[in-house]
Formats: sequence, structure tokens, C-alpha cells
Amino acid sequence: MAATGNVRTDGSLLSRLDQNLFKLESMLNLLAGLVTLAVMFVAVGNIVGRYFGYPVPGYIDYMEQAVPAIAILGIAYCQRLGGHIRMDIVVGALSGRVLWFAEFLGVLLMLLITAILIYGSWDHAARAINLGDSTVDINLPTWPTKILFPILFSILSVRLTIHVVAYLKALQTGESEPVAVPLIEDVAEQTKREAESVSGLEEEAGK
Amino acid sequence: MTPIEVSLILAGILVLLVIIGMRVAFATALIGIVGLFTIFAFEKNMDAGKAFFVTMKIVGQIPHSKTAANVLGLIPTFILIGYLAYYAGLTKALFEAAKKWVGWVPGGLGVATVFATAGFAAVSGASVATSAVFARIAIPEMLKVGYDKRFAAGVVAAGGTLASLIPPSAILVIYAIITESSVGQLLLAGFIPGFVSALIYAGLVIGMAKFNKNLGPPVGGYSWGERFAALPGSLPIFAVVGIIIFCIYGGFGTPTEAGALGAFVVFVVAIAQGMKWDQLKGALMEAAKLSAMIFTMIWGVLIYVRYLGFADLPGAFAGWISSLDQPAMMTLMFILLAYVVLGMFMDAIGMLLLTLPVTFPAVIALNGGLDVTAADSTLGMTAEEVSIWFGIIVVKMAELCLITPPIGLNCFVVAGVRDDITVQDVFRGASPFFIADVATVAVLIAFPGIVLWLPRLISG
Repeated sequence: MAATGNVRTDGSLLSRLDQNLFKLESMLNLLAGLVTLAVMFVAVGNIVGRYFGYPVPGYIDYMEQAVPAIAILGIAYCQRLGGHIRMDIVVGALSGRVLWFAEFLGVLLMLLITAILIYGSWDHAARAINLGDSTVDINLPTWPTKILFPILFSILSVRLTIHVVAYLKALQTGESEPVAVPLIEDVAEQTKREAESVSGLEEEAGK
Repeated sequence: MTPIEVSLILAGILVLLVIIGMRVAFATALIGIVGLFTIFAFEKNMDAGKAFFVTMKIVGQIPHSKTAANVLGLIPTFILIGYLAYYAGLTKALFEAAKKWVGWVPGGLGVATVFATAGFAAVSGASVATSAVFARIAIPEMLKVGYDKRFAAGVVAAGGTLASLIPPSAILVIYAIITESSVGQLLLAGFIPGFVSALIYAGLVIGMAKFNKNLGPPVGGYSWGERFAALPGSLPIFAVVGIIIFCIYGGFGTPTEAGALGAFVVFVVAIAQGMKWDQLKGALMEAAKLSAMIFTMIWGVLIYVRYLGFADLPGAFAGWISSLDQPAMMTLMFILLAYVVLGMFMDAIGMLLLTLPVTFPAVIALNGGLDVTAADSTLGMTAEEVSIWFGIIVVKMAELCLITPPIGLNCFVVAGVRDDITVQDVFRGASPFFIADVATVAVLIAFPGIVLWLPRLISG
């Protein structure tokens, strides 16, 4: 399983696009992390508040808005780093043009699904806007979370387009390490990287 | 073609897509979309354009509507606990405390490693990362006092697998969501099997060290004062596990609140240990990325499940399974065996999400259906109890695959950290623990009461 990514960069237009989009994706992913932190504080506040007879008003409503946001905000960031789960025992054994063709096909299909989801999730959000749909307890409007889905799917589709183009280029040139796509690492490399990242954490924490 | 035949063909294509490396979440979503389209176009006789629009509208709702649930808040908070735990300085403190308390028994440092990895793995929820951390902390200490290299490496690799059962466990939450089982009961149910697994590992280490004096000599000479002084640093671990169990068991809070409280404790300890914004940001980024991955898998699989519901493939599979002319237990064994094989090539979360929509209804049917009483059932449990028990066993099986070749990640990570130890050494060192785990699974299958005792207490 490719858990971590390994993306090469250079000065080409494609790579610059990749890096700039990555900045946006990183911001959105951090936002998801901050929402998680907020969920933690609100839930703890609710426990403490309930003990004193003042639970957080609309606690469930906030949670039901927060969780989908956490679910979707990091989706393109995760794809940039090749973080979405897959079985890479077969593709890992491929190389050269055969590999790039398999990868190209994979991201092309993903782009197709994402396009369908943009339409469907927009339809879902638009209905919430038109009907003025809101949560049960404290009447939070539901559209702000719902609209995150077509927005993030659109960003994901830009990310996937970059991947499609990058794999196409690799297919054409037959190069072994194209830019702007997560390169496959074998199990030993992946785990070694994980070990290193954890070691880094340990040392920083130990200071 | 009947809808069942179509769904079998599509399931075949899905397997093919997964094997050629398509991201699992998107492969399942794609097959779900194609399947729904065939249902509307051919079964409901809509024209192609309309069938496509209806499909788009249905699947477009799923990513939002299926994640808008309070209980799913557990997943990101459990993950956050894991990433913050590194900064809370829990690993070294835990190992030091365990070393001082149990170092004097044969294989004492190995036993200390088992308990420290179990505690840290439980809180971090990350098997592979736990093995990586303890390969750096525990192996050097063990080698210093003359432990056998393979033995030391095997203990660390196997210890990491204790992550998934002891609460907090994200993988049990995922199981609960896909199978619509009780999250609270599953989290409670994992505790005793997880704890017993750790005890069995410890017993195995002592036994092996006693039998072969060269494997791991004891280390003693710690005073009671030193022992008690080592305890406070490891307290947050016990606090997190304790909070989650007591919150759910005592009904003080929902599982989500328990998870949030656990995260809050680790967060405060990490701040007290001097965690800086950059480090917090790093933890938040990693936690958010892993959450996005898991949630994407969840809704991707649920798009497929929506289609399966229309096509009734799970129903057909369950019907076929329960019509087999062999003991139910044997059928169950075959299902579990399939998981062992699959687990050798796939990550646990992916494997469970991909298979449970079909295997879980089959197991329930095998037991006699959803409304069966314990007395009338094949396996002697109600449907609710089977769902808990099967969850614990399947998750234990999935973890077991982390120490089996060819891609047992825990073994690779230990070898990755230690340049002087080969992957083969680690696999060999971990093999006694693998055998012990198989025995544990057999015991859990034979005596479901071990798994169900705690959850039964709260369900009454």
C-alpha cells in the first residue's frame, strides 16, 4: 500500500502547476485538521458543560456539519501524495510505458467518476440552497458543508487532469521518473520512509 | 442476464481494477455507478439519458449524506490521538516504566517491549509506526544486554500488531459503520481480546527465554522507588484507554465524546511536553490526510453498497453460503482463511471495506438471520452478538497479516530501521508470535464469551 507519496518537481509548466495547486491543497488539508481540533474542543466542552447542566447548544448539529468537512477537505491533497489506498503489488512490478499506461488508465477513470460526482454533489447542494434546508436543533443551514463537495471534487478534477497529462507525457517519452505524479515505492522504501518520519517525530518530541 | 449475473460480472471487474492498482475508493465508486446505471436502464426500463441522470443524482448525495453522522467524528479524533501521541513523549516513558517493572523475569526486556508496544500501539492506533518507533527504542537496549537479534526484532514487529483491538481503535469504528453494528460495544469488546493477546505474547517471550537461556537474559536491580518514579510518564496511555472504556461502559458520554476527551488529554500532555505550532501543524496535516483517505474509502464503498442493495448480490451470496451442505463453522473457517490470503496482499482497512458488504450479511445468514435468538442460532449468538464477535476476529486476522510474508509491513519496517537485521530475520523472529496469534483466534472462535462478556454487561 502506498501510504506516502514521492513527487518529483522541476521548472516545467506542469510541475509549476502541480506545486501551486499543492499549496492550495495543503491549505485545505490543514483546514480539515483544524476542524478536527475544533471537534475535539467542542465535544470536550459538551461533556464538561453537561456535567454542570449546560451542554453545548446544537452539539449534534455542529458535529454533523464538521465531519463531512473533515471527510472532503483533504481529498485532493491525499491524491497529490498518492495517499488513497490501492493494491500496488502488481503495478509495483511494472515499469516503463506499461506502468504509465496502467497509471494513465487509472487516473482517467478517476477523473470520469469525479466529473459525475461534481454534478451529483452540486445537485445535492443546490437543493439545500433552494429549499433552505437546515439542521434539526439550532437550524444551521446545511448548504455550506454540502457545497464543499462539488468545490473539492472540482479541485480534485484539476489535480487528476495534471496526473492524466503527466502520465500521458511519460507514456510518450518512456522516462522512468516523470514529474508531478506520486512515484511508486516498494514496501522496503515505504516502510523505511515511515520509519524515518517517525524517528523525526521522536527526536523533535524528545528535545 | 439477471441482475445477479450482472453484479457478479461487475464484481469480477472490480477485483480486476483493484488488482491493476486503481485506488480502491474510486474503483468501488465506478462499479457502483455502472451498476446503478444498469439497474435503472435495464431493470426499471428508463431510457439511457434518464438512467444516467438518476444515477448521477443518487451517487452525488452519498459522499455528503453518508459522512454527516456524529459517530463518524470518532475516526478523525482517534487518528489525531495517534499523531499527537508522538509529541507527548509517551514511547520512551512507557518502555522505561515497563522495563523497571518486568525486566527481572526471563526475557524481561522482551516482556517490557510487549507491554510498551501494546500500550503505545493502542493509543496511536498505528501498528507499523509503533514497530518503527520501538525498533529504535527497544532493540538497541535488548541487544546491549545480549538478546538474540532475531528474537528482539520479532518481539518488536509482533508487538505492533496489538494496535487494533485495544481501544481507541479506528479500524473497529470503520467495521461498525460498514456493518451498522454498535460502535460502543465493539470498542469494549476489543479490550479483553487485545489485552489477552498481549499477555499471551508476554507468556511466550518468558517461555522462550526460559527454554533457551541465550535468547534474552533478565535485567534486574531496580528498586521499588525507581519503579514508582517511572510510572507517571506512562500515565497518559492508561488515561486514554481508561477514559474510552469508562466513558462508554459507564455511559458518561457517547463514543465520540470519549474519543474527543482522549485526544484532549494527549493534546494537553503534548503541549506540556513543549509541542510547538510546527509540530502540531504536522500532526494535523497527517491526521487530516489519513482521515480523507478513510472517509473517501467509506463513501466510495457505500456507493457500491447502494448498488449491491438494488442487485441483491449480498442476499444471493448469503443464500448460497447458508445452503451449503457443510457445518456452518467450516464455512466460517473458509471465509476467515480467505481473509488471511487477502491480508497478505492488502492493507487491513482496504480489505475490510471491500469485502464486508458481501461477507458480513453472509455470516449473519449463516447464524440464522437478523432476528434469530441465541438458542435457535447456528453459532449460539444473537445477530447483534455475531456482528461484534465476527468484527473482533476479522480485525485480529487482519493484524496478523502484518507479520506474514510477503508484505508483512511490520517486519519490513523493523528491518528498515535496523540495517543490521534482514527482513528474513524479522519474519523468522516473529513466527512464534504468529503461531500464538493463530491459537488466540482459535480460542476466540471456540469461546465467543471472551469477546462478548464486556459488551453484554452494558447491553444487559
